[in-house]
Amino acid sequence: MLLVLSEEYKEHLAFLPQVDPAVVFEFGRIAVEFLKRGINSKVYDGAARKLGFPITTVQHGVEGLMFLLTESSKLMITDIDFKDSVMVLGFSTELNEILLQLYVENQTTIRSTLTQLAPSLPSYHNLEWRLDVQLGSRSMRHQVVPVVTMLFNLTMGTSENRRCCLQTNPSTLLHLIAVLEAALASMKNNHARRILRNIK
Amino acid sequence: MRFRFCGDLDCPDWVLAEISTLAKISSVKMKLLCAQVLKDLLEEGIDYEKVSKLTADAKFESGDIKASIAVLSFILSSAAKHNVESESLSSELQQLGLPKEHTSGLCKSYEDKHSALQDKLREKSLRLSRLNSVSWRVDCILSSSELKEVNEPTVHLKLQAQGAESGSAETTVVSVSAEKFRVLLTELKQAQAMMNALQ
Repeated sequence: MLLVLSEEYKEHLAFLPQVDPAVVFEFGRIAVEFLKRGINSKVYDGAARKLGFPITTVQHGVEGLMFLLTESSKLMITDIDFKDSVMVLGFSTELNEILLQLYVENQTTIRSTLTQLAPSLPSYHNLEWRLDVQLGSRSMRHQVVPVVTMLFNLTMGTSENRRCCLQTNPSTLLHLIAVLEAALASMKNNHARRILRNIK
Repeated sequence: MRFRFCGDLDCPDWVLAEISTLAKISSVKMKLLCAQVLKDLLEEGIDYEKVSKLTADAKFESGDIKASIAVLSFILSSAAKHNVESESLSSELQQLGLPKEHTSGLCKSYEDKHSALQDKLREKSLRLSRLNSVSWRVDCILSSSELKEVNEPTVHLKLQAQGAESGSAETTVVSVSAEKFRVLLTELKQAQAMMNALQ
């Protein structure tokens, strides 16, 4: 599967052949750092001054490299396809080798960073519960009503924690437990096993 | 095998595995380690420096240190949770393979801090919203745009509670007329009488 690169993109990367391969390698390293930690524009200033290129060119170059790496990691393209896609840009073979090496080294880390960007539903983290008995209220005395109160701590991604409070009577709780145990047991039937066997 | 300190359930596998790790340190060091773990459970702060010094002789790695703290926390807190006496805790731990000197050291520490632990656990139990404070003020309305002479006393109540789901402080301000306030007071007194009957 080849990457499709737009004309504007090729323009952005056009200045890469004009600099040393060592500089390209340095830009590649900067691009990977930015992918892990976010963009730091002071680095662009320093690089532009040292090389004597305008800041926008340097910025486009690094961002172009970042795009190349994220798109290739996202689609998980093989080395050969990566080489073919990069050949379209018309760079020297040495430059292509450097880009390929950059891709191969950082593929797994970029993929793990990208998985964290996917939207996540709130998921179960912790549960606190208590069992109360209601003995009376304003309208009626001498009652005996057991109530189970549960506080779920849910996490969404890395940050916000939500707390969700539920109350139920013991018979509903028993039904809840029975339904959840049936759900767990359905993981062991033939249909689920067949599918799990076929997922790599 | 049902264990009372696990709430009449099976003992978790990881506890069985880590009990053998605990047996590697001497019983004196184990008692000091228990004291540190109890300080952590009572939220007095745990001194990790001391813990690493205690486990340095047995050459525990960081994973082993964490595991031994975890297993001691589990044993002590679930024994307090299920209100197990120290003799039965001692016999159950020996059944699981903890040597006798270690067991007696652990149970002695447990017995000393038994009631303090249970009080701490009772405090940490789930409470939905807590009432933090109540402040009140009695005003007398002299007149209003509707009627020239009103002369009615009212009570302003400010209730500060700790919300359940949000966990942050919530303030409610209510103003109550004299009759409504009398009704409120009577109902609350009846509720208080019911609560006192249970004590």
